Amino acid sequence: MRYALKEIAFEKKKYILIELLLILLMFMVLFLSGLASGLGRAVTSAIETMDADSFVVDESAEKMITVSKVETGLLDELRAKGVEAAPLDIHRMHIRKQDDDEKLNITYFAIEAGSFIEPEVIEGKGLSHSDGEATILLDDDFRVEGISVGDKVVDAAAGTEFTVAGFVKDRMYGHTSVGYITTDSYTKLRQALSPMYVPEYHAIAVKGDKDLGLDPDILESVSKKEIIKNIPSYTAENMTITMIVWVLVIISAVIIGIFNYIMTLQKRRQFGVMKAIGLSGGELAGMLICEVCIVSVFAGIVSLGLTFGMAAAMPEKMPFYLEVSNAVTVTAAFVVISVLSSLLSVINISRIDPIIAIGGGDNE
Amino acid sequence: MSKVLLELKDICKAYQDGSEKRLILENISLSVEAGEFAAVVGPSGSGKSTLLSVAGLLLTPDSGSILIAGKDVTSASKRERTGIRRRQIGFVFQNHNLLPFLKTEDQLSFVQDRGVKDKSKIDELLRELGIESCRSSYPAKMSGGERQRTAIARAFINDPDIILADEPTASLDAERGRAVAEMIKAEVKKRNKAAIMVTHDTRILDLTDKVYRIEDRRLVAEQ
Ligand SMILES: Nc1ncnc2c1ncn2[C@@H]1O[C@H](COP(=O)(O)OP(=O)(O)OP(=O)(O)O)[C@@H](O)[C@H]1O
Ligand SMILES: [Mg+2]
Repeated sequence: MRYALKEIAFEKKKYILIELLLILLMFMVLFLSGLASGLGRAVTSAIETMDADSFVVDESAEKMITVSKVETGLLDELRAKGVEAAPLDIHRMHIRKQDDDEKLNITYFAIEAGSFIEPEVIEGKGLSHSDGEATILLDDDFRVEGISVGDKVVDAAAGTEFTVAGFVKDRMYGHTSVGYITTDSYTKLRQALSPMYVPEYHAIAVKGDKDLGLDPDILESVSKKEIIKNIPSYTAENMTITMIVWVLVIISAVIIGIFNYIMTLQKRRQFGVMKAIGLSGGELAGMLICEVCIVSVFAGIVSLGLTFGMAAAMPEKMPFYLEVSNAVTVTAAFVVISVLSSLLSVINISRIDPIIAIGGGDNE
Repeated sequence: MSKVLLELKDICKAYQDGSEKRLILENISLSVEAGEFAAVVGPSGSGKSTLLSVAGLLLTPDSGSILIAGKDVTSASKRERTGIRRRQIGFVFQNHNLLPFLKTEDQLSFVQDRGVKDKSKIDELLRELGIESCRSSYPAKMSGGERQRTAIARAFINDPDIILADEPTASLDAERGRAVAEMIKAEVKKRNKAAIMVTHDTRILDLTDKVYRIEDRRLVAEQ
């Protein structure tokens, strides 16, 4: 370790250049991965953050809440069995501000006021605090549109009015911000659009892992994870970006490997001498791997710092979301792949014959 | 009689030269005692470096045996050879072969045996070789003589049994070359090592105890 550091210090210029290159690459990797999960979150965060463990949907819905239909009676049935259950409807619509024609995308999450899937507000009050009027909790992205607590918003199609009771944080579904309304408001809204509407739920959110005793021919209990996977486009989008991220991680790590290999080629004689005076292959390999670790860990830490610094300075609406654990995983993988790719150099060193130290020889 | 630290018995070594084998060393025997400073001379291409490489366990002879401090090491494994080179053999090469990224004192501590990080030993050698002032210099910033003296200090750091020097004075002018050879001699005498020095320089042969010449693949003692 000590001597690896000394060598790096001696070859400052070379190492600074390679560090710069790696930091840029890793920064790009982390940034992209932040954008990837940001975009992913924009599709799923309202489900991900929901305090439910599984969802009851109808069997033919193929695990998609939005196309599922569940009879309202099931809710009482489940509750009678002592299951913690709450109704959920998900519906994509448009709203507009009271005196404004501009339509804003919204996905309604119709829930029972006060149920366990009602999110915590960061401003204002919860849904159960209404004085008889229809209320809505909005994702805080709507603040950017100039909406604040107490304002009225209007459903663009049905004309139903909602008073903004409060704001919630980080609740998106299918690239739109979510608005939480009560199941009653939702029923009224649907009936305003089509008088034939019969109340039903898209799904029932369940907490805990009690046996639900569902009829498997009609209903199915699906874990939160599975539900998220089956949100249309989520998996495809996510896979593409995740692929790009990993390809970049591998490329950066291989760059270290190649850099290292070139360095060892240049230092063949030096390694020959070290072997001749009795340093074992293990010691030399250890030194080399130590150098790679120092270089890659340093690049990793700096780019982590840069990425999180950048994230803090970014505008709210930017879909950037990087979990520390996620970023650390990517960085750790980068370090590990760097070390693996430098094994090529280790093999190269092990093949050097110490005899090259004897005799005048060409210098270096 | 002093203890024999290095003994070569009936060493033969041939190189593959194209399709045929060319014999370089033929039945060479040599023994060097503790405190003895031997020189090997001979024309260019006669096999001096080859002999030194065999003695230093860098080359395996085709036949014959090598004993270091009384122990037969002819058939030691690659791993064992590395260990023997580290602990029992000190090399001084023609061009210093110091590591460019280490300061003088690190050159020594780098090869010092694991566990025995003995700073006083480093200090002692630097003092005796008159290179204390180079303690914190990189090889690139030192003179040729200082570099070669650092290389000598490195050869002695692990208290080896034998010292092998291949033309240690070749890169220096006559005066400095002689000073370096004198230092090798002084250390060999003081520390009671067995040393072989390959050289072209006949003017420093008076510093050695015995002179061997390689001629027609054989080693003969000069008198
Ligand atoms: N790896 C090798 N393969 C084939 N032939 C070799 C090899 N190494 C050395 N030789 C040959 O063996 C002979 C002896 O070489 P060696 O290096 O021992 O000579 P030397 O006495 O040290 O010469 P010099 O005084 O020029 O250093 C030379 O003719 C050389 O060409
Ligand atoms: Mg030679």
